[in-house]
Amino acid sequence: MNLPLFAVSIYWDLPVLLVVVSLVYAATRHDRWDKIVHEATGWGLRITLFLTGIGLVLYLLSTYL
Amino acid sequence: MASSPTNDPPLPPVKLDPLAGLLSYLIPGLGQIYQGRIGKGLLFFGGLYLLFFYGMWMGQWRNVWLPETDDLPDVAFAGQTLGGVPKAISYRPQFLGQFWIGAAAWPGVYQYIAFDKTKDAGPVFGKFQRMPEEKELNELQRNGNKRWDLGWVYTVIAGVLNLLVIYDAFAGPMFREASPEWLANENETAATAPPPPDALVPPDPPPVASIPVFTPPASSPPPDVPPAPPTPPVAQGGTP
Repeated sequence: MNLPLFAVSIYWDLPVLLVVVSLVYAATRHDRWDKIVHEATGWGLRITLFLTGIGLVLYLLSTYL
Repeated sequence: MASSPTNDPPLPPVKLDPLAGLLSYLIPGLGQIYQGRIGKGLLFFGGLYLLFFYGMWMGQWRNVWLPETDDLPDVAFAGQTLGGVPKAISYRPQFLGQFWIGAAAWPGVYQYIAFDKTKDAGPVFGKFQRMPEEKELNELQRNGNKRWDLGWVYTVIAGVLNLLVIYDAFAGPMFREASPEWLANENETAATAPPPPDALVPPDPPPVASIPVFTPPASSPPPDVPPAPPTPPVAQGGTP
């Protein structure tokens, strides 16, 4: 499988952004670690879904349009 | 309008801590460490510095700077011609976000103050956070495969996130919770404090002996219950 989406290295830099933003933002809202991890997980999932959706749309547009 | 009573536990009053906020500006998380919230402080320190320097690395360490604008055209804002730092920021607004990472962006300020266009590098930091020449900038953007641009986005996000960290050090987290020690101290204080003089005291309940209790008399006649009507005989067998 040689999808251009995975060949573009710019996508591999996104997990750093995703993890740091989720954890830091969640930690500014709570002091307890269980709540920080819970909220960070939620934000991480939402950001992942959003970025994946955007990436998929752009990939489909650039491939089939 | 008075607030309605709730079942939420009481919260300690918000104590503002400007020194902790300043420390978290200087180095992300330092204010939290100063307050004893060491785990969170280390998370902020590691996370934001990772994001900031990762972004600089993506931009080949050439995407954080404040430009020298003496040779650039004037910029007007609200009818006034900008000069100095406002003019520099108008040419490089990214630095307005990067600045809030704290001391890690100060070399950019120093390079701006000590900039000498006749030299290739600054006096202390060399080319670190120094304005790149136009030719170098064009090559970075042309050959960087968009990573140079994404890099400065990462540094800006790190700086803006540190604003939340500064606020956390200054006024605490968004959702506060009382510590068990504070709750125990609060309960102890409430238990030992004398009641206010005008407090409403509920009346004592009447003594138990005065409550009339119904006791049926021992020789009371049975209640007059009418006898049940006789039941008609049930026909056995079917009708012809």
